[in-house]
Amino acid sequence: MTVTIDAASRRRRPQRHLPLQILLGFLLVYFLIPFWWVVVNSSKDAAGLFGGGNALWFAEDVDFIGNLQELFTYSGGIYTRWLLNSTLYAVVGGVGATALAVLAGYGFAKYRFAGRRFSFAVLLGAVMVPATALVIPTFIMFSRLGLTNTIWAVILPSLLNPFGVYLMHVYVRDAVPDELLDAARVDGAGELRSFLQVALPMMRPAMVTVLLLSVVATWNNYFLPLAMLSDNDLYPVTVGIGQWQGIASANNSGGTSLWSIIIMGSLVSVIPLIIAFLTLQRHWRGGLAIGSLK
Amino acid sequence: MLFAADLSIPKGTHAMKRKHFLSAVATLVLAGSLAACSSDDDGTNSSSDSSGGGGSDAANCTNTIPKPDLPAVTLWAWYPNMELVVDNFNELNDEVQVCWTNVGEGGDEYEKFQTAIAAGTGAPDVIMIEADRIPTFQVQDALVDISDYGFEEVRENYSEGAWQDVSVGDAVYGVPVDGGPMGMIYRKDIFEQYGITPPTTWAEYEQAAQTVRDAGGPLFGDLGANVPAVMMALQIQNGADPFTYDTDNPENIGIALNDEASKEVLDYWGGLVEKGLVGTQDQFTPEYISGVINGDYATYISAAWAPGYLTGAGVGEGTDAGQFAVAPLPQWDPANPVQVNWGGSAFSVTSQASDPELAAQAAFGLYADEASLTDGWTNQVIFPLNLNALEDPAFADLQVEFFGGQQANKEVYIPAANAYEGFTYSPLQQYYYDAMTEQLGALNEGSITGSEAADRLQEDVVGYAEEQGFTVE
Amino acid sequence: MTLQITETAPPRTEKKSRRKAGKTPLREQLIGWLFIGPFGLVFLAFLVAPLVYALYLSLFRKAMIGGTSFVLLENYTKAFTDPSFLDGAWFVIRFSLVLIPVQMLISLAMALILDIVTSRFARFSRLMIFLPYAIPAVIGALMWGFLYSKNFGPLGDVFGLFGATAPDFLSRDLIFYGLLNIVTWQWAGYYMIILYAALQGIDPTLYEAARIDGAGNWQITLRIKIPLITPALLLILVFALIGTLQFFNEPKILRDLAAGAIGPDFTPNMYAYQQAFGLANFNYGSAISFALGAVVFVCVYIFLFATRKRGSFLS
Repeated sequence: MTVTIDAASRRRRPQRHLPLQILLGFLLVYFLIPFWWVVVNSSKDAAGLFGGGNALWFAEDVDFIGNLQELFTYSGGIYTRWLLNSTLYAVVGGVGATALAVLAGYGFAKYRFAGRRFSFAVLLGAVMVPATALVIPTFIMFSRLGLTNTIWAVILPSLLNPFGVYLMHVYVRDAVPDELLDAARVDGAGELRSFLQVALPMMRPAMVTVLLLSVVATWNNYFLPLAMLSDNDLYPVTVGIGQWQGIASANNSGGTSLWSIIIMGSLVSVIPLIIAFLTLQRHWRGGLAIGSLK
Repeated sequence: MLFAADLSIPKGTHAMKRKHFLSAVATLVLAGSLAACSSDDDGTNSSSDSSGGGGSDAANCTNTIPKPDLPAVTLWAWYPNMELVVDNFNELNDEVQVCWTNVGEGGDEYEKFQTAIAAGTGAPDVIMIEADRIPTFQVQDALVDISDYGFEEVRENYSEGAWQDVSVGDAVYGVPVDGGPMGMIYRKDIFEQYGITPPTTWAEYEQAAQTVRDAGGPLFGDLGANVPAVMMALQIQNGADPFTYDTDNPENIGIALNDEASKEVLDYWGGLVEKGLVGTQDQFTPEYISGVINGDYATYISAAWAPGYLTGAGVGEGTDAGQFAVAPLPQWDPANPVQVNWGGSAFSVTSQASDPELAAQAAFGLYADEASLTDGWTNQVIFPLNLNALEDPAFADLQVEFFGGQQANKEVYIPAANAYEGFTYSPLQQYYYDAMTEQLGALNEGSITGSEAADRLQEDVVGYAEEQGFTVE
Repeated sequence: MTLQITETAPPRTEKKSRRKAGKTPLREQLIGWLFIGPFGLVFLAFLVAPLVYALYLSLFRKAMIGGTSFVLLENYTKAFTDPSFLDGAWFVIRFSLVLIPVQMLISLAMALILDIVTSRFARFSRLMIFLPYAIPAVIGALMWGFLYSKNFGPLGDVFGLFGATAPDFLSRDLIFYGLLNIVTWQWAGYYMIILYAALQGIDPTLYEAARIDGAGNWQITLRIKIPLITPALLLILVFALIGTLQFFNEPKILRDLAAGAIGPDFTPNMYAYQQAFGLANFNYGSAISFALGAVVFVCVYIFLFATRKRGSFLS
């Protein structure tokens, strides 16, 4: 009984703690300053950027629309292409990696088979192997197979997510009772059906987490596509903007100052994930803690 | 179990389970069809773009190809006015069209090219490279000798020296486009304010810098760690001879990076940094550009193409308009002036070109027509090596807008180019520049002296050369 | 992994785990393999094969003069005496030693504050502090690169107010802190959310009980909250380690702005990239990659083996 009362009383009175709120305010400024900078400066032209005005406030000439237009028309509108590529890589790579992790995690958690302990041990060892260390040999392998400079060169290696398998395994082991599966089997459900209809719905929180981790990882990936792709047309937005930055650092923009486009491009490129995070809050907030099991 | 409170295990009905199952399947299907869609998309795009397929597998071009029925040659290049140059070429040519992309300037492009060489695919047919990198790629068999593909017809358009910079032995590995005779850009307003005239020797340069500093003025120049080629040029100006390399004897290489001449130059600049007379900012960065605009640097040691690149970055368009002028590069020994070069590029045909002859045709023709050349030199983005432009009186007489109407070519750049005697580049150029950048960084930090930097550089580069199988002389 | 700290684990739901695999019916074994099969293939193709291939490549050397030759372990003896590689590795180690505690402390502090303060502003802050996680490292580095610029970014203005000169985070001396700040900014919010979720999962009756026993806020924090979220702290430790081992994007992007401070051999990953794609030295690049991958693999395994409790981590 006391439980409910306490919980209720805890909920009833919002804790204000003024000093902590002020501290929080400072933290908020720190975390938001780069966003603010990017929003303000995406409205400036080269003169506004470099002319020595206030870096954190708008110049006299606010030209969001002009810069946006410039961004989406520069170099034949290639920026749109990059956004689509990023989306494709993130969705296919992320969903694929999640699907594989779901299957494997379930397999590890619910079946005994020869070689299981060994495989799992290898998996654990692999969790921390940095993906960056695999890029160069994978590149050479792919070049022998003629796969470099194709979308598969980015998507296929993104399917690998050992940590996702580990998370799914831990989750399934503890959250999906064998009794339920056994009951389904007794009811005449096959292995596939008891997986799909009994286990899978219960695995949803973990699936969301793994999906989120894989999508974000693929969306943010830079090293792999940088090494694999040489065709501008296949770049994800990270590599594309990185390339623009390189070009702009050489002052080579052929009349238009690339920096305004780069800043606007940075702003636009972060919007999709921010929207995704804000709208899907309900789904990821709980799931992120999976893996920190007691 | 899990911490988050809302992770309760669903214990719903069959209908609910079905719903979850369906949504999971739907997600997968959706993803699959997305993948399918966009790979379809890929297919259509590339088939519509790769016009005629003259030997390119790169699909997309930044430019629009006006004659899509002709075979196309792919090109990587970063000249600021490249779009116009490519359009001019395509308009004039009825046998081949150029499909151009800019994959980055200098080092960025070379990394992509190196990657493509390793992969055996992905390189363009024609590539813009600086003359100093030709030996690096030639030694990897990544470039094609174009002396049999119409070289004789255009030979007389360039000086012997220009051809020599892009040749290895008798083989020609590029078509020269522009050079980089060096000069000293300076701010007239700052010079006037502090009552100084353009220094003609490096000793005067230091004195002037001290004068400005003592009067509370801005920095006099900048030692950017990211422009190692400038330091190399300044050392050569003082009589250094970093590499001796003869392709008839490609296993031997001479490396002299820590002789007295090299050390003197590094010590000189290290001293300027230590005395606070010059900045230590990387050049071309936004930080540097805003410094140039705001008059933080009285001089900029650079090459003939610099005005065009500075303009592209927004320099000379605001309060700094008309404040720039150029003077000849200061000398070590005014009795024996030496002129040096920074940058300048050529078009080379890569060994991945499926039709080298066609590619060579593009390489010979690009940036060789009058309209492109004129646009290039009027905007000061190139110092042309094509004699048709170089010997055009209008080029010499040009009143450069960036320099407030100064006849910069006649006064500074053409004499510098005429006196330039050529450098010897080696296949170690990339490594050498990286190593130089590192030492310049340390010099800027003040943790080593210029002489120490030179010694470390020598040790570093010699070690690399030996590891690469060279006999170091 | 480290996450098997199982003192308070609930009873396992898997019942027949004591059954030996050998006695499991063949059919069940087969189905088990079918489930892990797809991942297994990807694992073999994109993790095992590249590592093995890297090992193979690393046994050769390709020189500009003389071509390719078999050198056995020479690339490795070179790597472990190569100042570029060692300095890079040492940088990453130093960086991790500072970064990880800083990140964990900051995110823990923020999570604890947000656990106490329940105003609307706090909820809003929670979301905003998390946002940098959604920013690609490339973009994050780019934005901070601008902010670090002395006369271009705001640092000059801010420090100018106090009559001081702004520090140059892109200089050789301060690049360490410049990068530290970027990575902390990017990840602290994400770690904070993990810790916050863990804190929210603690049964509030524990606090009431402690209060009755006379415990203050500090004691509750130190004696109840932090011990109970140890597993979450371990989880973010793992994330942070993975992150620093991959360190590449931020320095690679900032290199365009600070070539003097960030060499091409700044971290082992960058060095491997430079060797392979800058200098066409794929064999040496592979040796560095393999050394990195294999060392991590072995270290993790030794660590797991040494810290295993009741042999549970292989369950």
